[in-house]
Amino acid sequence: MVRHRPALRRARAAVAVWLLSVSVVGAQQPTNFVSCPIVRDTASVPCWLAEYDGELYFLTLQTDVSAPVTPPWLGHRVLVEGAVSAEARICGGIVLKPVHLSVLESDASCNTMLPAEERYNLTFEPPRPPGPSGGRLAFDNAPATPRPAVTASTREFVVFYPFDGLVGFTHAGSLTEILQFARTLNAREIEIVGYRGSVRLSNGQTMVEESTIGKKRAEQVAMLLKGANLTEPSYKVSWREEAASATGVDDYLSRRVVVTVRR
Amino acid sequence: MRTARWLLGVTICGWIVMSLAASAQSGARLWWAPGDGTPLADFAAYGNDRGTVGVLNTSGRLDTKGHPFFEPIGTNGRACVTCHQPADGMSLSVRTVRERWAATGGKDPLFAAVDGMNCPNLPPDDPRSHSLLLERGLIRVALPWPPRNADGSRIDPEFTIEVVRDPSGCNIHRTYGLESANPTISVFRRPRPVANTKYTTHQNFGVSPFIAKSGLPTATDPATGRPTSMNLMSDARAPTLAVQAQDAATQHLQLKGTLTAAQLAGIVQFEGQVYVAQVSSTTAGSLIEADGPPAFGPRQLAAGDAGVLGNNTTRYVFPMGGKWKQLPRNASEADNARNAARESIARGHDVFMFRTFWIRDSMHLNTVGLGNPTKRTCATCHGMHMTGMDTVNGWMDIGTTNLPWATEVPLNPWNEAKPQMPLFRVTCKPDVKPHPFLGRVIYTQDPGRALISGRCNDVGTIVMEQFRGLAARAPYFSNGSAATLREIVDFYDRRYNIGYSEQEKQDLVNFLGAL
Repeated sequence: MVRHRPALRRARAAVAVWLLSVSVVGAQQPTNFVSCPIVRDTASVPCWLAEYDGELYFLTLQTDVSAPVTPPWLGHRVLVEGAVSAEARICGGIVLKPVHLSVLESDASCNTMLPAEERYNLTFEPPRPPGPSGGRLAFDNAPATPRPAVTASTREFVVFYPFDGLVGFTHAGSLTEILQFARTLNAREIEIVGYRGSVRLSNGQTMVEESTIGKKRAEQVAMLLKGANLTEPSYKVSWREEAASATGVDDYLSRRVVVTVRR
Repeated sequence: MRTARWLLGVTICGWIVMSLAASAQSGARLWWAPGDGTPLADFAAYGNDRGTVGVLNTSGRLDTKGHPFFEPIGTNGRACVTCHQPADGMSLSVRTVRERWAATGGKDPLFAAVDGMNCPNLPPDDPRSHSLLLERGLIRVALPWPPRNADGSRIDPEFTIEVVRDPSGCNIHRTYGLESANPTISVFRRPRPVANTKYTTHQNFGVSPFIAKSGLPTATDPATGRPTSMNLMSDARAPTLAVQAQDAATQHLQLKGTLTAAQLAGIVQFEGQVYVAQVSSTTAGSLIEADGPPAFGPRQLAAGDAGVLGNNTTRYVFPMGGKWKQLPRNASEADNARNAARESIARGHDVFMFRTFWIRDSMHLNTVGLGNPTKRTCATCHGMHMTGMDTVNGWMDIGTTNLPWATEVPLNPWNEAKPQMPLFRVTCKPDVKPHPFLGRVIYTQDPGRALISGRCNDVGTIVMEQFRGLAARAPYFSNGSAATLREIVDFYDRRYNIGYSEQEKQDLVNFLGAL
């Protein structure tokens, strides 16, 4: 047992690097496709995979809501926007990193659950086990730090969305940040601009978000901030009806709302 | 008709005989009549089928004479205590309901037409008019449709709703129903325990201006403007104890006007100082010995930290302190039987905490970053330290009210049983995304949170309830569909295809019964 410790440490370090680097924009070949997600059980947490063009890709592990990439849903197709990494396969799949996942429309045929097989067990300790976390508390409260004094009179916030998506569980934190800044600043104006994105797939096709999504996003963010009693500032809400052009690289950045808070 | 009435009469007689037998077995019970002035001791224990439940009043002995929680402050003779009885863990068991019917012939204010009857238009004193209360412990909750914001403005709901069937008749009644002058939807729910409220109203982890599971604004405390945990009621419609007290006084006690400031303060203060948990087990003996597991008993609850995530091996949801895992055997059969029961409780804890299964298609669980399905344990959702509630805003759809998982009477030529619950058809509007797991058309016995939010994704979502004092307050789930703790376990086993062994089921039941 003891002799495995260095290996375990290396593996832990590897997974830490993997988790940290998912948001780093890599120069790797983009791999963007729509497919059914596949869940593969392991002796620990399940892996999430997807097939495209005859190849199996590793998307992410089951962790918890604090993870930078959270798993898709069986019963729905998934839009995968990723880049092939040089890392060793995980659960039999080529590792996409960074990767962005969008749950799409329901599709009952997306229902593949693969049983655990010894050969696909994880070679590293996952960030958390399938049950209660041990030691590292993913949800633990961050240590209280004094809020930095607001020096700028204007700040811009960018809120990103999954494809065709509106507000969801990932947005509570960013909305809170906007709200707190605006309150601290005693903001007089909040400008919100909603954008409509598109994504170029690896098969050459382009997917464009629904035509009114920019409007819906902008109006919803305004509604949410007002709903949180941020009613003192004036709101300037606009949107772009035309979709941003897709290149296949970092197209997820086009699915956004930009919130500018001014004193 | 006459035969049906006779049959119901015979059934109720049977209930009463069984209830009295159970009472004799588990010790004295006390019905707290509104205004009777009996003082509430600082600590009292009341018998139930699995042992005794303890009620701790941290402020000491309370003189209930004139106290707004105990006095009939409305117009129908009820008090808060009517549906929040100490012997029932500050909730109301169906056993108590039946005892009251037997003792009063249905004249107790508990059976008031406003909500103790399936619908106020039904004939009084007929048990069939109160069948949902008598059979499942359900109180009628009448909600306006469409829903209203906190400021009274109308919400434009994301769905339309129709009544498919309603054995109570209330939802199709010209005065009380959906097509009435004041369109109303009646759903039928269990009274929640008014105890351990520092946990149900905590201001700790997960409480923020935006709901962690949806990004929508959190309901705020009208008195302070602070966000709330929204974990108080099954549909989260009342953000604070004060709002709930006022709403309950108006709706359930039929108070004309509003509570006075003194009444409101008295109720809220009392509700903040009462702690309830099982204190002894018929098989495992005392649950609150000094060297016993630190999860058990109301004093541990009173001392515990509220709003702490326990889905970890640092704090634990219900800390057992490593106790009772393996206990000695000796020449005493009684000691050995007690120790075996304690070991079963400890194993049940481990099933709760560590037994993984696939959780699938559950709204506000699989949709909040865990993936669908997710391989987790009971403690994943029931994660709040000491209570097993959610720390964040805790409404989810596990299928207790939504078809196809909700318990329905099998309809066939050989079964004379008829459905008891209403059934609604919810259709998500074309400009709204369909529910990710149930589609555009959903059939439900109770739309739950969606009757407040108007949102399609909230249909059938119910705020999870605390696990304490369970043995004192059967039946379970918001619609009383699980008559026993075993039925809760069986529901989950069926819903998530868990495949519990018989031993695991028994251990889990014993663990839940000890909380």
